[in-house]
Amino acid sequence: MQIKNHKISIESYLNFSELLNEYRGTHEENRLFALKHEELFSNSKQILLAWMNKNDFRKKENSDNQNILNKFSTLGNFIGLFSLIFGFLAGLGLLSYSGHAPVNVIYYLLFAMFIPVASMLISMVSLLSSGTVFNALSLFFPLHWIETILGFFSFKDKIDVANNLFSTELKKWMFMSRLQLFSLLFSVGLLFALLVIVVSKDIAFSWSTTLHVTDIGFFKLLACIGFPWGHTLPSAIPSVELIEMSHYYRLGENLNSQMIQNADKLGAWWKYLAMVTLFYAIFLRFLLWLATRYGYREQLEKDFLELDGVQKLLREFKTPFVSTEAPKVEKHLKIVEENDEQVAHVVARVYDTIVGWNFSEDEILLVNDSRDISSSNISSVGGNNSFKEDQEVAKGASKVVILYVKSWEPPTMDFIDFVEELLANADVHEVQVYPLGTVGRNYESDEREISIWKRKIQGLKSKKVWVIDA
Amino acid sequence: MHSSKESLTNDYPKFAVVGHPNKGKSSIVSSLALDDSVQIGDTPGTTQVKRGFPLKVDGKIIYELFDTPGFQRARRVLSWLNEQEPVSADKKTDVVRAFIATHRGDERFIDEIELLEPIVNGAGIIYVVDASKPYGAEYEVEMEILRWCGQPSMAILNLIGKEDYTDQWKSALGHYFRMVRTFNPIKATFREHIELLDSMSQLKEEWTKPIKVAITVLEDLQNQKIEQSVDSMVDNMVKVLSFVHTYKIKGESATEVEEERLKHGYREKIIGYEKEQEKNIEIIWNHRSIEKVENMLVLDNVGLFSKESASIFGLSQQQLIITGASAGAIGGLGIDILLGGGSLFLGSLIGGAVGGVGAMMGFDNLYEVKVLGQSIGKRELSVGPMQNLNFPYILLGRSLYHALVIAKRSHAMRGDINLDNEEFFTEQVMDSERRKVLEKVHVSLRKGDEPKEEELKAYKKALKESFEGLM
Repeated sequence: MQIKNHKISIESYLNFSELLNEYRGTHEENRLFALKHEELFSNSKQILLAWMNKNDFRKKENSDNQNILNKFSTLGNFIGLFSLIFGFLAGLGLLSYSGHAPVNVIYYLLFAMFIPVASMLISMVSLLSSGTVFNALSLFFPLHWIETILGFFSFKDKIDVANNLFSTELKKWMFMSRLQLFSLLFSVGLLFALLVIVVSKDIAFSWSTTLHVTDIGFFKLLACIGFPWGHTLPSAIPSVELIEMSHYYRLGENLNSQMIQNADKLGAWWKYLAMVTLFYAIFLRFLLWLATRYGYREQLEKDFLELDGVQKLLREFKTPFVSTEAPKVEKHLKIVEENDEQVAHVVARVYDTIVGWNFSEDEILLVNDSRDISSSNISSVGGNNSFKEDQEVAKGASKVVILYVKSWEPPTMDFIDFVEELLANADVHEVQVYPLGTVGRNYESDEREISIWKRKIQGLKSKKVWVIDA
Repeated sequence: MHSSKESLTNDYPKFAVVGHPNKGKSSIVSSLALDDSVQIGDTPGTTQVKRGFPLKVDGKIIYELFDTPGFQRARRVLSWLNEQEPVSADKKTDVVRAFIATHRGDERFIDEIELLEPIVNGAGIIYVVDASKPYGAEYEVEMEILRWCGQPSMAILNLIGKEDYTDQWKSALGHYFRMVRTFNPIKATFREHIELLDSMSQLKEEWTKPIKVAITVLEDLQNQKIEQSVDSMVDNMVKVLSFVHTYKIKGESATEVEEERLKHGYREKIIGYEKEQEKNIEIIWNHRSIEKVENMLVLDNVGLFSKESASIFGLSQQQLIITGASAGAIGGLGIDILLGGGSLFLGSLIGGAVGGVGAMMGFDNLYEVKVLGQSIGKRELSVGPMQNLNFPYILLGRSLYHALVIAKRSHAMRGDINLDNEEFFTEQVMDSERRKVLEKVHVSLRKGDEPKEEELKAYKKALKESFEGLM
């Protein structure tokens, strides 16, 4: 399937950033989305845009992005228009001719070539720099000061909010791109002023400098500046004669006679000045604007992919979703706290009946010997014994019964069934359940194990049965 | 949606973890399923109904584990089975099915039906015993019932206590199970987890392939978790080390109280970032329940800004100087000193010489408080980015230690986890070459610059290698 390659705009960048602050989806949801859009798998940017479009509704209703963008656009239009008008007015000022002193082309060249070229060079150095160096260089640009002044206006906060959303690098490219555009508009204004003046007024150009520059030397300099169009448009390069007749000396009380005699020829400079403006201030600036625009787009895409949460999203798109959890939520068991009811702390020496649950008779004898307990009626129950055998033991028990149990083996319902049978025997007055530890621990059982037995026996709610915690 | 009925009929390996009550069945399931939501208790009967834990990849079940209640009336079940008409071995499972059908709804056998049902429906048997307690003949009844089910089976020796009756158990279990393995869900490493799965794959020929797939999936998942942990740690490092805290003041210069407030705010914010990062790591490793138990956070007892933390996780004075010099940090800082911008390192050196290791690694030289001019007469104090040379290593060492404990922590573990007394120094896990790579990024952040992409990549690589080495 052909994938339409949508470009990232500042609007989509801001929307995406806002969406990621609100919602990032779970791995399961994101992986499912990616599996449904397999054709976009190889294109991170496009799959992210598709994800953004799908989840766009999750953004806050009162999004500020459009408002911020409108403010940005208004501010941009205002500065753009200002630059154009300022360029035009600057051009009118530079070319103002009262009929007495001619217009010095060197002034004009300063604005139409030297300053733009210097500004472009600083721009390029700025683009290669970062941090403090960039900040220092940006002080050279009028746009920096214009934006600083505009910062005091009421929408400053909105701009600050938007600025906080962009990386330093992106802000740099945004600034440089804007700078080139406004400088371009300024130069267009300047060229427009030149053309208007040339059409509407008879203007005399001259050149004048304190430096010792010969006419030939000046010609060579101008020819060098005009090299880019010299071959295709030779009439737009001033001739040596024109340069000679336009040379103006400040010590002359009036215009010299040569200038007056060739007044009609002095206007021929305009073609050269127009071409200088067109090539250096407009064409080169236009190229730089395109380059910064490209750099800005690239940076925007880079930042788009580096927004907080994007790498996680991409990883989740590409990584199979593995789950190991149970879909059924477990109903947690309420643990009943034990109390000291039905707990005996003393073991008698003689019992009427000794019964060992899951103890063999030999094991019971060992316990008796170790604990100094005796009885004439000793039986083994549980384990491999049959129910019938257990029932016989329960029936044959009498008076006070001590029931040995393995403390580490929790009481099963099988055990409880047997205890209930013992309790059902009217001859049995009392059953003392004695949890015993392993032989290795000398039959000592720990608190945790005793606690389990206490809780279970208390659950029987019988006054005839006790747990020995000695 | 996955239902229990569906899981029992579909053709993928299923395993029922069964046994006597309180022998660690839920712990084993919790550990194998990497799910700490399983209730584990020392009270028998904690698990009341069977619960399936499917391993799903993009929604497809690869295998499923069933946590089951323990046997309660095993003798009665076996007695019932024995009372039936004698049948040939291939029909014995049908007798168990008949038991389930006959006693469904009988409250006496709820537990037995819950545990036997997945088995008669094709689940393999994983019989769990506590090998730290002696073997008893009463277990034979349970094993006999399981033999009636006729499903592939293995036994797991889980050493819950300190005593060891493994040999006793092995000789008894060998009569009933083809395979007997030792697995401690609390201490099991990822490798042991995989080895157990590998053993499970050998129970039935048809299960070998899907379980091998599962092993690959889990290994990939483990790698992803390591990478995510490293990314999270590095993001936090960048965030903390470049953090600048400001505080508005009223006068021309800051009062002592204002300066203290600024410093306090700075510290608190950084501590908050560390907590966030720890939570993130716990989520990555699926230890979501950790917050439910108080005092469970690994480093709670050793504050980020404490001297203990500095002495455990920081670099020694000598290593700090070597690292700084090799990465050009000292050179850079020397320039700062000349410019009057950063006398902190010099302060550290002097402090180190005078006060010993404590002053060097301590936090007396954390702050460089600046008064910044603001518009219309307002002023503010600022502190940051972090200038202390040792702090990045302390923070990184703590992050690494926490991530390591969480990554290695079994999902069956429910108790506290505290910093061990074992020696753990960032120096030991980060060799001088790695520290050199780290220092380059620290230098950039200290200057308030964004680290270069390739430097950050190298940083992540160094951290990942150290993390993997520790795992």
